[in-house]
Amino acid sequence: MKVKIKKWTGVGTWSYKVDYDNCGICRQPFHGCCPYCKWPGETCPVVWGQCTHCFHIHCMAKWLKAQEPREQCPLCRQKWRYA
Amino acid sequence: MSQNVAPQSTVSKNSTNQGPPFVDSNTVSKRLQGELMRLMMNPNKEVSAFPEGDNLFKWIATIQGPKETVYESLTYKLSLTFPSGYPYSPPTVKFITECFHPNVDLRGNICLDILAGRWSPLMDVHALLISLQSLLAEPNVSSPLNSEAAQLWPNQVAYKKQLLALYDKANREDKPDTK
Ligand SMILES: [Zn+2]
Ligand SMILES: [Zn+2]
Ligand SMILES: [Zn+2]
Repeated sequence: MKVKIKKWTGVGTWSYKVDYDNCGICRQPFHGCCPYCKWPGETCPVVWGQCTHCFHIHCMAKWLKAQEPREQCPLCRQKWRYA
Repeated sequence: MSQNVAPQSTVSKNSTNQGPPFVDSNTVSKRLQGELMRLMMNPNKEVSAFPEGDNLFKWIATIQGPKETVYESLTYKLSLTFPSGYPYSPPTVKFITECFHPNVDLRGNICLDILAGRWSPLMDVHALLISLQSLLAEPNVSSPLNSEAAQLWPNQVAYKKQLLALYDKANREDKPDTK
């Protein structure tokens, strides 16, 4: 698969450091659960996209729902496909 | 001996588990408190922000005009209003200080991609304020909200003159006591 960035129209600039210990969406460590998980024993696994970026499963699900109908990785904005 | 009891007696305790709630204001409050702490510890004082009163969902931010631009030495106040879906939805950001800029309208509304369709939940208040600061330095003149500013932008000398005149006027009106 080849991905090409067609156009970058951003006028603002920001950068985000890739962090493999913490979920970028909620800032909580991957070895713990997302801030929405409250029930003891509930699992909050990490999900990986084909773009190699990873997030808590619940954080990613909420982001996909929030940006409907688009489905982009919050980091690289490629179409999100579960790896 | 056979022990062929179907293992179906493990009552599905997950039947009520629809996943975590989508909106949880307590979680958003915690997130905002964390961001506030990080902002306060940040040595970069060119941008700052603090909740307005007791309401953690409404902040007042201050950004300094970027150095070596026409906005140098000017200070702008902005209001940030966080939705209950933050950080999945962006905050609403407006200039409180009148801002003469191609991408800011006369009411302080801002046209910035990351505040709308290109918002990412990886952003935070600090990144947002840094982006707004760089917007001051690098306006997008092709889709202006203030066409006068957009037309004047190529002439930086005239632009600065107009910018400072409006800035001084707005700040005088802010403080009616000073003569
Ligand atoms: Zn997370
Ligand atoms: Zn979770
Ligand atoms: Zn990605």
